[in-house]
Formats: sequence, structure tokens, C-alpha cells
Amino acid sequence: MPRALDYTKESEMPSVPVSLGDMKWSKTGSWRYMRPNYEDKTPPCNQACPAGNDVVRFVMLVEEGKTKSGWLKIKEESPFPGVCGRVCFHPCETQCNRGQYDQPVSIHRLERFVADACAHSRSRNLDRWGDRSERVAIIGSGPAGLSCAYHLALLGYHPEVFEALPVPGGILRVGIPEYRLPEGVLNREISDLETLGVKIRTDTKVDKDFFDGGGQEYQAVFIATGAHESQRLGISGEDGPGVIPGLTFLREVRMIQKVRPGKRVAVVGGGNTALDAARSALRLKSQPVIIYRRSQDEMPAFAGEIEEAMEEGIEIEFLTQPVRVIRENGGVAGLECIRMNLGEVDETGRKRPVPIKGSNFTLDVDGILVAIGEAPDARLLPPDVELDWRSLTLQDVSRAESRGVFFGGDLVSPFRTVAHAIGSGKKGAISVDAFLRGDNPLEVLEMTRIGETGGVSMRKYIDTGYRTLSRHVVNFDELNTAYFKPLSKTDRKCLSASSRIRDFREVNRGLIRREARYEAERCFKCGTCNECENCYVFCPDVSILRNMRKLKHEINYDQCKGCGICFTECPRTAISMEEEQR
Amino acid sequence: MKKVMTGNEAVAQGVKLSRVQVISAYPITPQTTIVEELSEMCADGRLNAKFLKVESEHSAMASIIASCTAGVRSFTATSSQGLVLMHEMLHWAAGARLPVVMVNVNRALGSPWNIGNEQSDSLSQRDTGWIQLYCENNQEVVDTIPQAYRIAETVKLPVMVVLDAFVLSHTAEPTEIPDQERIDEFLPPFKGDFTLTGRRHQSFNPITSPDYYMEFRYKIQKAMDQAKEVARSVDEDYEGLFRRGYGIMEKYNWDGADTVLVTSGAVTSTSRFVADELAKEGKRVGLLKMKMFRPFPTEAIREVLGGTRKVAVLDRGLSFGQSGFFAQEIRSTFCNEDEQPRIFGFVAGLGGRDVTPEDIRQMISYTLENDRPRHDIIWIGLKQ
Repeated sequence: MPRALDYTKESEMPSVPVSLGDMKWSKTGSWRYMRPNYEDKTPPCNQACPAGNDVVRFVMLVEEGKTKSGWLKIKEESPFPGVCGRVCFHPCETQCNRGQYDQPVSIHRLERFVADACAHSRSRNLDRWGDRSERVAIIGSGPAGLSCAYHLALLGYHPEVFEALPVPGGILRVGIPEYRLPEGVLNREISDLETLGVKIRTDTKVDKDFFDGGGQEYQAVFIATGAHESQRLGISGEDGPGVIPGLTFLREVRMIQKVRPGKRVAVVGGGNTALDAARSALRLKSQPVIIYRRSQDEMPAFAGEIEEAMEEGIEIEFLTQPVRVIRENGGVAGLECIRMNLGEVDETGRKRPVPIKGSNFTLDVDGILVAIGEAPDARLLPPDVELDWRSLTLQDVSRAESRGVFFGGDLVSPFRTVAHAIGSGKKGAISVDAFLRGDNPLEVLEMTRIGETGGVSMRKYIDTGYRTLSRHVVNFDELNTAYFKPLSKTDRKCLSASSRIRDFREVNRGLIRREARYEAERCFKCGTCNECENCYVFCPDVSILRNMRKLKHEINYDQCKGCGICFTECPRTAISMEEEQR
Repeated sequence: MKKVMTGNEAVAQGVKLSRVQVISAYPITPQTTIVEELSEMCADGRLNAKFLKVESEHSAMASIIASCTAGVRSFTATSSQGLVLMHEMLHWAAGARLPVVMVNVNRALGSPWNIGNEQSDSLSQRDTGWIQLYCENNQEVVDTIPQAYRIAETVKLPVMVVLDAFVLSHTAEPTEIPDQERIDEFLPPFKGDFTLTGRRHQSFNPITSPDYYMEFRYKIQKAMDQAKEVARSVDEDYEGLFRRGYGIMEKYNWDGADTVLVTSGAVTSTSRFVADELAKEGKRVGLLKMKMFRPFPTEAIREVLGGTRKVAVLDRGLSFGQSGFFAQEIRSTFCNEDEQPRIFGFVAGLGGRDVTPEDIRQMISYTLENDRPRHDIIWIGLKQ
């Protein structure tokens, strides 16, 4: 404390007031009515990822040059970085705050970079959380089933996967063409999963008897048999040779190789399956024409796929609907179509197509691929569960049944994407584990949710410390963009349209190391402290303390006056201000 | 050594001779060439000083307040809008008793925008606790800067050295550069009473209770009173070494004059010329050049003007709603005196308008012809 001064004459006083002692005794922190604290928040990309990836943290590791650690970070949440880095529709990029600044960070290409750079890494390096003896069966080896198996393996189980086809992978193997997802990438990630002790029984079809017979040995079952039942056109001449469901065609292309759909083939539909079928047909020397009853704006296929198909010169007849298959000698001789107009908005939020009377015309085709949607295979479902043409009417993608039967993937989800399937498999794994431990799976899933509406996080499930992370999703207006310089996105690199249509070589190229570091640097790291030290530099009260050993910062609340400069100058909203509780 | 140089170059030479260690400045017309020259001196090693680039005049003053607190001789220069932006920091520098020196190049204030010569910018800062010294020519500029540091460091108050925009700042005339060794003899290295070292805990100018605040203010006033005598003796020392002295004011053509014209800055030279002409015509009009405006040399003014009958005051700037700065101050000097001269307050040459010999003759004629002024302000050259 200061010595009490008691001057009686001005002449005894110094020229200016000076203190030669320190001021540490003056705990100016007591003036504070707002309190800053370090609080990591949810970045919008993390919330947007249906697979529940921790995007920002893996990107930070890439930026630091720690690609292997970045790979392990992704692998905590998903077994398929190589797959997702290629085929995901990347809603993370749509939600990326950088999109409101210049262009979103190219997250999917960063994920692919990490996966390809760590092609020889193994998940065995990940922490395993216990050793469980309960037996879990997984039916279907698509992205949902394998994701469930993978996460269960990490949780210490030895799950067994049943697959009807002779090869594992489900839709990844037989639904996505190789030019989007090379065989080697899929094999690599599936074999990595097998090294964790996941057993995959191929050529093993499971039917309803399973639950009364061998299935009883399992304490829990996860069913993800997907949606493979192609919708029918419902027009005359549909039945017979030359009219093939799109998924069937894609499966044959992958498994039989030598398939010829016809010289000129009509592909009916506007979704990803239609695009994949048309582009595969083109590569098999057919001349495809896509027939879609609405306009390009309403196409459900991913925009990038449509763009690539158009680059390849694939014709698309918009506002067109088939009305009759013309047959000659049993084969397809043409497809009669009718032109459509867009009318009122329907229940799907899109404009309803209305036929234009008398606008009928004939397309000269000798093959037809039907890709107007797939329905789930309901055979393994309990009788009390209803099915509509899109999905099961289940509230959640996973449901706890008293006997421990859970559902996931396209079977139950209206979102037919790989990322959703992976996320749903993870939810299945968490549900199974919670169920076997006697917890309520739905409550556990809610606790492990990312942000307010996101997927679930394995890290949050196994590490309760992570559950306390703020669910607040950082929006663009909360960032201090003065600290970010405009940097445009790395250009997409791909094979030229003329060379890629000759075979099934992968169309898109990955990032090289330098580009990956650059893209990672573009990331704002929304809501995530990356030790940029702006707070340390700006604090006027020297109240940000550095802990060099732990590489972290702390706030000295004895001296912090709560001015909020650290909060304002934090570029990424990793500091919060709260009213002081008194 | 004699060289032809502008007023701004003379400033830079004065700063170099004073061995200033920190310069912090923000450019503004017509001061810019001062800091240009100083930054070059720092860059090529002619001056061993740290040159700080700052984002505003407020920061320029704030940063030399800091460097001076650390016991380092510090300098800045500004003009007009830059000076008034510093206003808050001017009070702080004086209250903290920091002997910083600043050059202000007198320029008119906006609005409307104007870069011409006028004294309102510095004179309107008269209540900030800064000593103010006005220079008549470039020689006086180079000589005043080392003097300013000695006065400042003796009484522990900041000093503003003022020169006229363009008329001095951008006009070259032969100027003698004093010998460095003798300046070193005249101006010893700076040593503060309390110095921020960084080696021990110290805090300067903390909050001060009503019990002592008034005493600190009293001490500033006492230092100002002391500054009048200090400035006079510093100038005498300087004259002893360099044969050039200016005093805190100068009488010219005074013999037997009962009418006196009071001026400051470069217009004094024009006035000298007019006074000489009038003398040839048989009209005896004295001239009083005021170099020191703060502290205001009240006693000296009473002494020299007390015996005169009429005093014409030439102001290049005014306090709106009152009158010219110098006129106000001189009037107040005599308010309790039995014998008072009549004070005629003229305002001329605002915003860079030339004050011509004819204008000065007009002021003198008015003063000679009228028994007393008809207005507090007599505007010269106004388009009415």
C-alpha cells in the first residue's frame, strides 16, 4: 500500500505527482462490470457438416503443417476423409463465413488433400476408448453401416458387418462412378477400418429370420440397408429390355465393366443418380440425353455435377416428361415425351410442372435409364414402421428399440448424401453404446450435438470436457474482418472435358501442399482461438497473461477492468464478454 | 557558417543542433518540409534520433510526452488543424511538466479551408500551459530552438516556437548556422527530475485528489512567472556566445515616440520598414516586437508602454466575440494603472492575405488621427 502523504506546503511537493512504487496493490479488476473470458464457439462449417467433422481444427493443423495430426482429427469423426473430400456436397463451404467476405474456404479439397497425403496412415494410432465384449451386428456396408462399425470399433467393440453384395462399400462402391471416387481410395479407407477389428461378411444377405435365428447372439443391431428400390416411370412400354433403373446401371458399370446402355440413351431424372448415369453412359461411348421435367434451378443434383456434365457436352432436355416407351421387336425404338410448363409452387417448395397439351414429340433413343428416385428397402423393418416413397417416417435417424435395433443411412433419412449417412452411422454407434451402457440414446445424442442444429461429435461423446464448448454458432457479423486480408480461392484443377470422357479416370485433381497451406490460411477459424495474440498485444492493462508452457493465454482478473478491447480485437470471436455477477 | 535556407530548414537545423533524440510528427502543410528534412537527417545519420511515424498529431504529441517522460529530449512540429487536434495532449504535456519543444508554423484554421498565414492556431492555444515564442526571421528561428530547450528544461514547461507560414517557412534567406560545439556548451544534455526507466515500478501523473490538485496548478503558474526571467537570461547567455540576442521583446525606433505599434512574427520586418519611412517623413512612431506571448510579459509591457500615449496593436487573428489576441492582453495589462495609453486594436492579414506597408501606414494614420479608437476592432483591408 502507498505511504500516506501529507503535504502542508506546495513548496514541499514535487513538480508532478509520481509514484515510485508499483500499483499492483490497486486491484483495478474491481471496477469491472463486464468480464471477458476465452470461450471457443461453434464455427458454422462444423455445424453444417452432417458427418460431424471438426472442420476448423483439422484446417488449423493443416495450416501448421501437421497434416498427419489433421488426418487423425478428421478420423476422430469420420472414417472417410478420402471419400468425403471427393464426393461430399460440402455444405460446410456453403455456410463458410468467408463466403460473405470473398469466397469460401475450399474445405472439401483440404479434406481430400489430408486423406491423400496420409494414404498410408492407419487409424490404429487413434485412441481407443475401452474394450467391450458385447456383440453388435451391422446390416449394410454402405457409408452409414461402415461409419457405425468404425465408431463402435473406436469405442472398443468388435462389430460385424453383413453385406449382401460380394464387395463392401454399398452406394460408395456401386452407386458412385469411379471418375468421382476411384476404387483405390475407397479400398484404402475400408481396409483401414478393418485394421481396427471390424469384420465385414460379404455375400451375406440378411433377412427377417435373422432376428429370430443367429441375430439373437447380438446385443445390438444397426440396420442401414440404404435406398435401392428405383421408382418406376409408370408409363406404357416401361417393362422390358432396354429400360434399366439408373442405380442398377451404375452397379453393373462398377461390377461388370463391359456394359453398353445403347447408342443413344435417355436418362430420366434430375438428381445425382441421373447425372452419374448419364456421365457414365457417355464414358461408355453412348450418347446420353437427360430428360428433366422442371428447369435447371429445380434440379436436385449438386450444382458442381450439373456444371461438369454440361462441360462434357451432355444434352439436357429441361421441362420434358416421358409419356410412352416406343418399342419395336421388343427393343426400345424411341421415347415419346411431352413439354412442360412450370405452374404453382408445390409441397416440395418447387414449381409444379404442368404438361403442355399437344406438345408431344419423340426422342430417337435405343436405351432408357430411369433415375427418378429410390425408395428404401423396407424388408428388415418392424411392421409398425411406416414407409413413404422417400424415407421412413421416423423422427430421428436412429431409434432406440427395446431390443437394441437402430436404423440409419438412406433407409431412414430424406437426405440422401454420403455425409448424412456417415453422420447417421456415428449416431448409430453412439446410440448402441449408450443403449448397452443403459443410457438414453436420444439424450446422449442431444448432448453431443454440434452447435444448435448440427451433427453429433464423437469427441464430445468420449470427452465430456468438449461438451461444455459453446453451441453458439459464430456468424460473419461477429468477426473482426479488419484482420483478414482478401485472398481468393485456389482454382479448381481438373482433366479437360474432352480427355476425361474417354474413360473413368478421376476428373478432379487434389491440392498440392502449398495450395493446401494457402487454403488453410484463408480459414477465419471462426470462434476458435489460434493463439494469434491480438488480445495480448492490445490489452491496455497488461492483463492477458501468457502461459508459454501450455501455449495458452489467461486473464488476470485482479487487473482486468473489463474494457472489452480483447473481445473487440479478437478477429474470430474466441473471447466472450459476460456481465459480471455480483 | 552562413547558408541560404528556408524557415523550415532553419527549424531542422535548430533541432539538429539541439541534439534531439526523439522526433515524432505527422505531416501537414506548411510544416511538412520540416519533418521531411528531419527524417532524412535521421535516415542518413546526421542526427542520432529515433523518428516515429504516427497516425495523427494527437499521437505525435502523445508519443513525445512518453519519450520525454523517459528522459529523452523530444521534438515535434505541426501547424493549424494539426495543432488544434493536439489540444488535449498540449494540456497534458504542460500539466506533466514535460520540457518538450514544438514548432508551430502559423496557418489559418478551417472552415473554410485555407493554408495561408495567420496566428489564430497558436494564439488560441494560449491557455494550455505552453510557453510561446514568435520568430521574425529564419535566423531567429534557428537561434530560438536551442534557447527553447534550455528554457523548457529549466522551468519544466513545454515551449512552442512559432514561425509564419510561407513568409518564413518557405522563404529562403541567408542564415548563420551556429557552431555545434558552442551550442553544446550552451545547451547541456537533458536530465529529468523523475524519469521513466522501465527498470523499476513507477507511475506518472496518477489521479490526484482535490487536496493537492490545486497546488500542482499553482506550481505551473509559478513556473510560468519564472519563465519570463529565465527566457531573458537564456537569451543573454546566447548573445554572449553568438553575438545575437532577441530578448523577450524588442523596442525599435523608439526615441521620443509617444505612439507605438505592437507587432509579432514576420510582419515586424515590414513594420520596421514603414517606421523608417515615417521617420524620414518626420513622424516618430515606435515599434514594439513581442517575441514572448506566454507567459505574457505583463510587467515589461507596463514598463515600456506605460509612458506612451497611444498604442496600435497589429493582430493577425482574433477571439471571435472579443477582439485581437494581443490587443486583449495588452489592454488587460493596464486595467489597474492610473496612467494608461489608448489601445487601438487592428486586425489584418487573415488567411494569408498580405499585410502591406500601406496597411501599416493606414493603422498608424488612424491611430495618429483619432483621439481614441471608435471600435474594439479596427479591420484593415476589409471589403465593406
